[in-house]
Amino acid sequence: MSTHGTTGRFQREELVGKYLTFALGNEEYSVPVLKVREIIKIMDITAVPQVPEYVKGVVNLRGKVIPVVDLRLKFGFPAQDYTERTCIIVVEVALAAGSRMMGIIVDHVSEVLNVTAEEIEQTPEFGDEIETDYMKGIAKVRGQVKILLDLDRVLGVDGTIAMPQPTAA
Amino acid sequence: MTTRKSSGSRRRPAAAKKAKASPVKAKASSAARPKPTPRVAKAKASAPVFDDPIVADVPVQSAVLEPAAPVAAIEDFVIDDDTELVVVQSDSELANLFIAEALDHLGTIEAKLLELDERPEDTNLLNDIFRPFHTVKGNASALGIVSVERVAHKVENLLDLARSGRIQVGETEVDLVLRAVDVLSLMINDVGQRLAGQPRKATGAEAVSLVQQVERLITGQIEAGEAAVVPAIDRPELVVPVAHDSNEPAFDADRRGATPSRRRDDVPMLAGTATAIKVDTRKLDNIVDVVGELIVVQSLIAQDPALSALVDGRLARNMAQLRRLTADLQRNSMALRMVPIRQAFQKVARVVRDISRKAGKPVDLIITGEDTELDRKMVEEITDPLMHMARNSVDHGIEFPDVREANGKPARATVSLSAYYQGSHVIIEVKDDGAGLNTQRILESARTKGLIAPDATPAPEDIHRLIFEPGFSTAAKVTEVSGRGVGMDVVRRNIESLRGRVDIRTEAGRGSSFLVRLPLTLAVLDGLLVRIGNERCVLPAAAVRESLRPKPEHVHFVQGQPRMVQVRESVLPLVSLGAILGMGATALDPSAATVVVVEEGGSRIGLVVEELLHKQEVVVKSLGDSFASVRGVAGGAILGDGRIGLILDPHGIVAMVRDGSRRAA
Repeated sequence: MSTHGTTGRFQREELVGKYLTFALGNEEYSVPVLKVREIIKIMDITAVPQVPEYVKGVVNLRGKVIPVVDLRLKFGFPAQDYTERTCIIVVEVALAAGSRMMGIIVDHVSEVLNVTAEEIEQTPEFGDEIETDYMKGIAKVRGQVKILLDLDRVLGVDGTIAMPQPTAA
Repeated sequence: MTTRKSSGSRRRPAAAKKAKASPVKAKASSAARPKPTPRVAKAKASAPVFDDPIVADVPVQSAVLEPAAPVAAIEDFVIDDDTELVVVQSDSELANLFIAEALDHLGTIEAKLLELDERPEDTNLLNDIFRPFHTVKGNASALGIVSVERVAHKVENLLDLARSGRIQVGETEVDLVLRAVDVLSLMINDVGQRLAGQPRKATGAEAVSLVQQVERLITGQIEAGEAAVVPAIDRPELVVPVAHDSNEPAFDADRRGATPSRRRDDVPMLAGTATAIKVDTRKLDNIVDVVGELIVVQSLIAQDPALSALVDGRLARNMAQLRRLTADLQRNSMALRMVPIRQAFQKVARVVRDISRKAGKPVDLIITGEDTELDRKMVEEITDPLMHMARNSVDHGIEFPDVREANGKPARATVSLSAYYQGSHVIIEVKDDGAGLNTQRILESARTKGLIAPDATPAPEDIHRLIFEPGFSTAAKVTEVSGRGVGMDVVRRNIESLRGRVDIRTEAGRGSSFLVRLPLTLAVLDGLLVRIGNERCVLPAAAVRESLRPKPEHVHFVQGQPRMVQVRESVLPLVSLGAILGMGATALDPSAATVVVVEEGGSRIGLVVEELLHKQEVVVKSLGDSFASVRGVAGGAILGDGRIGLILDPHGIVAMVRDGSRRAA
């Protein structure tokens, strides 16, 4: 068995609050509303070389350069053309170097949910294939399961996104 | 009023020494004339400001701590009030700058001390406290504010001992240094007060008692860990304070219009700083960001087909007016951040002058390029390192006049300070015609200090770089301004934190020069827009020599790939920009595309791009540390349509090409 991801950190009371939910394929994910700065329609993204595929590049958010991560690719979903409903959720994440604004591309934004303590459950163990480290827990709301994401973990791999450059000789 | 035994006896050595050293002053102190106010009486007056509950402990503790070791004499800290003021007034602008900076530094120190209180074993924190202390001391020394310098020097000694592990850091030490921060803040504020024509606030007694405590701590009379003792200032004998109490309404006039300060409340606000305010650079950044966006929106509206279909004189006039105003706004907002480097150079000039005088080494200072504009933050941050480098040059680099003459050099040394643009960087050079770095001595010193292995034999350039290592110093004795081995370490750290670089060029007997290379983080960059695939990138125009579409016979193939291009007489390596950066390696036929010849660090290469678009001034923006490891890219620029174009880094690209061929070899 690998490490029990969330076991040690699960704190139901800390997870209670408002969440912005969004869809990736048929799955529903959510991030704390307090982390969300704004939601913008998909826009032209400037590609940055030498980064993993899921880092789509940078966008200009009113004069600020912010990196954008495609969450579909990050979570291993097949790539899909962006549509009218595709959104960039601008979030504030705590990285090793401090707090940063970042954009995450999602299929579409669903709603803002008030998640109560009774609705929150610990992430079950799925075995080894699925990483549960970046899930804070799950919420069962109206018969649907929403995954509560730990954005700092999803986006903050060692505090940087870029990978070392593959040796191109 | 009763005189405490302890305080009375503590005063005795000081009084005795004073009588010996300066009978005139001793007479003045005993006479207690109303005018001029005796210095000792003045000194006592500061006590109420430090009305601290710990004072209650004094009788018990101080009885135990009866000083046997020599303690500082009070006149060491008050003699210079008039001479000091003359020095400070001779350059009040510099003095005000010093005051603002020193208070900033003390604020940092205070915060770090509080951290240290929690993690006394953290030596990094000690270094973080030591450095700004050193800077405050150095600056005070440069300005001739001797009282501040002396107090700082004593406390610095203590910190140095702590840094080297000879003193255990505990509550006592932290308390003492915290108190030193308070005393220094008060003294520095007082300099500002006097500059503004206010009477001197007595700080001497505080300073003396502080220094006495530090000395006692150092000589081991206070066991580490024992509670700090607030010394018995001659409180029971207090005469009516001659200096204004900070709470007196007399200061209200000064408070109005003075810069808000985050110093302790009982320190009067500094007068005379109302003409300039310190603004968080993030606020300036926000303005620049928003204005940049305004320009984009303005041009989008102006080019809107629906709008341009309207033929209306008034609309056209208003649109033109809007364009002018937004352009004006942009220029102004950019100018907010850009300042000439003159301010930093002036401080360096002052340092060079003072040190050359102190050290008895006549120096001519030559300044060029002081109008070179740099980001305000850069100018602020580069000042300390430049001062350290200049100090080093005069203190260590330049020989004494007799030695110089013996070596056939003019007795007057020359130090030159210059700034100029080079490509997308600003180069600041501190150059002296002194003895040059002593490679052998640096090597020996580094070995002794364990910075390198005893049997290591690094290349000369690597040896020279050792002077940037923490804890390295070849000076035999600790002087007021240099020789503690913090200077060059701070220099490198500060420059690297600005994403810059510092290089040394030195020649034995001929002198050395320090070359500081700084990127223009926010500076406007003259760029050349090129297209690679679907992306537009910005090449710094300064690095671009020419662009051409080579004739097919001028492109030379190696293993089936176009690898060289002949430009007139020379053959240059040919590199596909898209391929080297990893932005899609479309095999381009150079004779159908465009070759941009880039020169960097003396080598020229031909970069193949799909298209050369146009020249444009862009604002350099950092991509953030998320992309810190991306090579060949220096930042991002917001282009006319609101999209971001990557700003390429010719230096990095040339390095990548070099690395690539090295790997292949």
